Amino acid sequence: MEFVLEAKQLSKVYQDKLALKGLNLQIRAGEIFCLLGQNGAGKSTTINLFLGFITPTSGAAYINGLEVARNVTEVKKYLAYIPENVMLYPNLTGLENLALFSSLAGFDYSKEELMEYLVRSGLPAEAASRRVGGYSKGMRQKVGIAIAVAKHAKVLLLDEPTSGLDPKASNEFSELLLRLSDAGTGIFMATHDIFRSKEVGTRVGIMREGELVDVLPAADLEANELEKLYLNHMHI
Amino acid sequence: MVKSIAKKEFVSTLRDSRFVALSVIVLLLLLAATIVGLHSYKTLQAERDTAQETVNDQFVSAADRHPHRMAHYGSYAFRPKSSISFLDFGMDSYTGASVYMEAHRQNSANFSQAQQSSSLIRFGEMTVAFVLQMLIPLLIIFLCFGAFTQEKETGTLKILLSQGISLRQMAWAKIAGYSKVVALVVAPALALASLLLFGRGGFELGGDVVIRLLLFMLFYLVYFFIFIVLSVVVSALHQRSSTALVTLLGIWILFCVITPKAAANLGANLYTTPTKAQMEADVHEEVAKGIDGHNSQDERAEALKQELLEKYNVETLEELPVNFDGILMALGEEQSSHVFQEHFDELTGTFEKQNSISEYVGLLNPYLAVRHLSMGMAGSDFSHFIHFQKMAEQYRYNQSQKLNHIQATQLKYGDKETRLSSETWKDFTPFTYETPPAGWALGNHLLSLGAMLLWLVLVSTVGIRLIDKTKVA
Repeated sequence: MEFVLEAKQLSKVYQDKLALKGLNLQIRAGEIFCLLGQNGAGKSTTINLFLGFITPTSGAAYINGLEVARNVTEVKKYLAYIPENVMLYPNLTGLENLALFSSLAGFDYSKEELMEYLVRSGLPAEAASRRVGGYSKGMRQKVGIAIAVAKHAKVLLLDEPTSGLDPKASNEFSELLLRLSDAGTGIFMATHDIFRSKEVGTRVGIMREGELVDVLPAADLEANELEKLYLNHMHI
Repeated sequence: MVKSIAKKEFVSTLRDSRFVALSVIVLLLLLAATIVGLHSYKTLQAERDTAQETVNDQFVSAADRHPHRMAHYGSYAFRPKSSISFLDFGMDSYTGASVYMEAHRQNSANFSQAQQSSSLIRFGEMTVAFVLQMLIPLLIIFLCFGAFTQEKETGTLKILLSQGISLRQMAWAKIAGYSKVVALVVAPALALASLLLFGRGGFELGGDVVIRLLLFMLFYLVYFFIFIVLSVVVSALHQRSSTALVTLLGIWILFCVITPKAAANLGANLYTTPTKAQMEADVHEEVAKGIDGHNSQDERAEALKQELLEKYNVETLEELPVNFDGILMALGEEQSSHVFQEHFDELTGTFEKQNSISEYVGLLNPYLAVRHLSMGMAGSDFSHFIHFQKMAEQYRYNQSQKLNHIQATQLKYGDKETRLSSETWKDFTPFTYETPPAGWALGNHLLSLGAMLLWLVLVSTVGIRLIDKTKVA
């Protein structure tokens, strides 16, 4: 099976600081890879490299077989991105925000279709026509998910997406990720949430000071074992 | 892509109550300035029309007089306001409104509005041009300073870019959206101005006025576009909205406050003008050196006398077939006019050099460029004023020489008593003034036109390329 997301000796140095050191990683369609690590470990740098927002110092990142640095615009067709805090445009409604972002990705959905994406992402139907400025973080995150889902991307890049969400919203989010995974989407999720990683992840990676120090199959571990392992890596 | 983001910027801005309130204030100011400007225009134009009509009537209805007395009686030329000057008063408030046209003297225009107003006029006037040149750019800055920085601060920039849009596409989309918003604020005032100009009469309408109005609007549209692109580029190059706003306000102060004053001071220091007293003394001295038109003892008058006596082969001036007084007056007028004209040309040349500094600075500052073009199209710049002065002088000279000719051909030498019939004055065509065409006005500001085009090209090419340097992560 082809890899939808791949890193080959991917490194990034900011001035004198090594942010990412020789990352080698492959993610297949339908796989959910959860990357654990402290703040500044290099998780966001990895995502930014896959998004083409920064260029690698050495090595290469690939999306759907295309080298990101050489195909910055082209690779955007195959990926969707949800940041930690989806702010969106407060003066537009949820529907308008989704319509805008979908149109940028080349999808011209009807109002009914947009509504369906929003509802499927967990946003109450009555909230869709309200301005996003009045939404909670969880509601905004759901619109962010709808934007990603509506794009039908092969790869989903998530940067701490459940941070600040209440347990119910986090749980709904996990269910959605599993549904996307079942549909064949390859998912890369940077997170601090060990429990959620164990729950949804196919594999879990642990990153420390820019280096991927461990990769484990989530199914073989209990949550507390994963926590111990993570803490061991962090304290070495 | 571009259409979607442009629409989003437009809709989003219209839903921002703070910006809507600011826009309404600026729009009301524009509408008020249009109406006040029109009222001022109509009042001044009516006053000048009445005054011109009165002095013309007084001249043609003058009593029986000796022609040289009539030359000294003189007349007035009142400068009609250009139809579009109600949008940009330009220098009109500071330049004279009327010229007293008499024999032997080339008077400068007097009775400017500033002379007749309180000192408050020094604070400037609320004109449409003031709002368009100074306040709309401020509105644009407040509209656009967060174009990219807010996207960075809220993280939407990354989501937008991840959807496949490029930074340049995004910049053009935002420029399109903001342009639509600015048009919404400016268009009603310009539409009202056009309606007032073409719909209500009282104006001297013609193709030239239409061309001037269209060019006036076009130059401002380019000016706003330059400010919009500049603001978007500055926003893209900053990480925080606060620093982008401070930078843009700094640019506004530099463009609209500091450099215009600096250019004016530089011009005045580089090219100094003589005082009015000094210039009059110089003119008087140079005229006195030659024929003064009254003193037949003057050496050149004597030479003329001898030349005429020899030409007609007579012994005395009384025997001449023409009136020597009239011929002497005509030659005196010719010489004094020549002296006046030389000094006048020198003085206007100095003023033009001072203005040229400001036009050159326009290459660095689009505000100065649009200011010159705006005044030019409104017919309220220095060139239009000088054009009027020249036309008035031409009329004065021709009128004086016509009266000298009458004296030379209809009266005898030494006759200071004969009064010509008042019917004589009815043959004199009254002074009328035609504003020069738009092409002439534009030709006086080619440097400013070039500066505007240069800015347009620079911000659209170099500026947009700079957007590629935007730090996304």
